[in-house]
Amino acid sequence: MRMFVLSPSKMSMFSVDWLAGLLALLVLAVAPWLFASGYVIGVMTVALCFGIWAASWDFMSGLTGRENFGHSLFIGAGAYTAGFLNVNFAVNPWWSLLAAPVVAAVFSLAVGFPTLRLRGPYFALAMLSGAAVMQNLTIIFSRYTGGQDGLNGLDPIVDSTLGYYYLTLVLLAAITLVLKLIAASPWGIILRAIRGDEASCQAAGINVTFYKIASLTISAACAGLGGALYAHYQLQVGPDLFAVVLSINIIIMVYVGGIGTIYGPVGGAILLNVLTESLRVFSEYRLWMYTLLLVFILFFMPQGLIAPLWWRLRRRLSP
Amino acid sequence: MTALLEVDRLNKRFGGLHAVKDVSFALEPGSITGVLGPNGAGKTTLFNLLTGFLSPDTGAVHFDGHPLTGLKPHRIVNRGLARTFQLARPFLGMTVLENVEVACLAPSVRHAGHPRARAQRWLGEVGLGDKSGWPVDVLPYGDLRRLEIARALATRPKLLLLDEPFAGLGSREVEPLAALIRALHHSEGLTILIIEHKLREFMQLVEQVIAMDFGEIIAIDTPAAIVRHARVVEAYMGKAELTLRHNEPTGAGDGIA
Repeated sequence: MRMFVLSPSKMSMFSVDWLAGLLALLVLAVAPWLFASGYVIGVMTVALCFGIWAASWDFMSGLTGRENFGHSLFIGAGAYTAGFLNVNFAVNPWWSLLAAPVVAAVFSLAVGFPTLRLRGPYFALAMLSGAAVMQNLTIIFSRYTGGQDGLNGLDPIVDSTLGYYYLTLVLLAAITLVLKLIAASPWGIILRAIRGDEASCQAAGINVTFYKIASLTISAACAGLGGALYAHYQLQVGPDLFAVVLSINIIIMVYVGGIGTIYGPVGGAILLNVLTESLRVFSEYRLWMYTLLLVFILFFMPQGLIAPLWWRLRRRLSP
Repeated sequence: MTALLEVDRLNKRFGGLHAVKDVSFALEPGSITGVLGPNGAGKTTLFNLLTGFLSPDTGAVHFDGHPLTGLKPHRIVNRGLARTFQLARPFLGMTVLENVEVACLAPSVRHAGHPRARAQRWLGEVGLGDKSGWPVDVLPYGDLRRLEIARALATRPKLLLLDEPFAGLGSREVEPLAALIRALHHSEGLTILIIEHKLREFMQLVEQVIAMDFGEIIAIDTPAAIVRHARVVEAYMGKAELTLRHNEPTGAGDGIA
């Protein structure tokens, strides 16, 4: 019998996928006890934040094929929301986890409404320039944003390093689960159809604009939440959180993980963050090696590394 | 009986090109009609105007008694007017079944039962039932045409617009597809409008032909009679040809059919 592994999300409800997900979560939960170093736990916490950003990028852009070159717009919006509330108004940091997604969602509507109704590159360009504009605005309005130095002295949401790691892990797991469930639902089928052909989607009676904007808003809210988590972890927010290079890094993580799979990009984010840190021993050659590895992965594994690896393993597991 | 579709003096210009010019016609419920015309006659533009992919400069379209003008394509589909494309446009990267399932999720039919099961039923209807698990990317061209029809049917249309469904098909694929369209027309009571630039395919299929040239309707008649209209002959054969055949005007139609 021929097997087609074209649509991973279609089969994702199989119990073997759930089991693998739980196992991965377990490994991540045990990991800090294996390393027991505050430094490694810190690296891992940041990696998990990137996991949230990569999964949320993938949910909109990976599924619909509308590449978002300014995901940092939502990350920065969420992080600065956390910074404003906490530093200027001494709001309890837990509120950031609510306010940041809302503000990021508002940003997504502001960009999405005028651009996602159109076809063509408008959306990608608007996101790219939106993020760049916000980065400059943080410097122009330095009175409120702290300019180049950003806002400093945020309170951590939880005090202990280990506690923060687990908070991030729980939120990452929840976001991944929710996004994956939506992707496997009729909603996800529609998003992948939009990737296939927008006009056909309209001819099938689907309101393409609604689905694109709504999924961007969900994506933005998750990215904003990740931004707030990151801000309260670093105890600082700066203009770099709006930087285009951050968006590009996230896109690379998605491609390495396996675009359109949600869980793949999470793996890609963790892998590349850990890789960057472990390559530090090579000091000045680090960037060379990192780049070579990326080129290697993307050239020989255009579908990515994590998700295709899992597909192969699963085929081995299933009779 | 009131008309299902009423087109009233539709006009569309692209710069200097008058692509659709004062087009008016009506379709009765349960009828099957062809739109005939050489390439560039404005047939596809007309389809795009009817389905909301383009908006007319002037004129109005009424469907089932309601105006369609200004509605977005997906809204028109949910009102019961579905279409296929001239070049099959499947959702690449998805299975054949998922391709039809998308249309089963349109708001007007979303709650009509399990989408996947309904999609499977529509695939069976067009003869693709055993290929539902295939990735659409490997489907042969003839099957893609059927898939387009299944996807349109899944939205439960009252009126189905088929844009050159026979284009690019081998001679052995044409008759089965015509039989399918005929069967849909009979069993579902579907009203159908078919574009074609060759008359042969739908001579036996349609009850009425709307002939277009240079954006205008030049004749509306039965398939047998349409080929005897001087302007139809002229559109197909050119003026010079017509002059040559000046002495045998009735024979000119055979060349088209």
